[in-house]
Amino acid sequence: MANPDPATLAKARPRPVYRNIGFGELSNYRLPIPGIASIVHRVTGVALFVALLFLLGLLQMSLKSEAGFEAFRSMVWGNLFGKLVLIGLLFALIYHWIAGIRHILQDRNWWLDLTAARSTASAVFVISAVLTLLIVWRLW
Amino acid sequence: MARSNYVTEWWLQRISGMLIGAYVLLLIVLLLINGTPNAAQWQALFANGLFKAATLLALVATAYHGLVGALHVWPDYVKSRAVLAVLNAYTWLAAGAVVLWSVHILFGSK
Repeated sequence: MANPDPATLAKARPRPVYRNIGFGELSNYRLPIPGIASIVHRVTGVALFVALLFLLGLLQMSLKSEAGFEAFRSMVWGNLFGKLVLIGLLFALIYHWIAGIRHILQDRNWWLDLTAARSTASAVFVISAVLTLLIVWRLW
Repeated sequence: MARSNYVTEWWLQRISGMLIGAYVLLLIVLLLINGTPNAAQWQALFANGLFKAATLLALVATAYHGLVGALHVWPDYVKSRAVLAVLNAYTWLAAGAVVLWSVHILFGSK
């Protein structure tokens, strides 16, 4: 095969570069709903991992003594900020769980066409929000 | 990493996820059935040997699941090698701390 003409090579369109986007680009990148569902799955996973040490601290406090349990209880039940943090973590946990099940089913080649991917991604958000509200309503 | 290691990691990530899911479901069902516990009920639940073992298993599974997940997520977004090294070190330390602290909380002296 003949070598291509250098002038043609110079005019050729550059090959596209496929890469993951950086944090700074997230705000101006419009993701479809399955993409948002996937990113939120990652964000909730990282949030839960970071919060795990804090939750272990709460568990230790609650198991140490009756006074420790009361301190834990007032942080969780008797304090608006504590409640909001725990409701956020509960949503993150339920969302991560349901989105994880969706990923496992997609690994089995279910729901891979565009319509199903979109509707199941939306369903993950709705089901997680409803389950979180139900548990919060029942426990508080 | 060899292909077999990826497959093992893929399976372990899903198995650990299912273990965590089963434990959380158990905890939520117990709380929903029995309502908000008092100190004695809460501490009695965690004094039960079987529940302690299940809790430790779930926490170890969480440490592993979080470790593998985070080590895969960081390089997709963080381009700086120095920041990546710090995040990876934090991830390993946090996962190790979760396992050791869990053993201490559940089986250490009060």
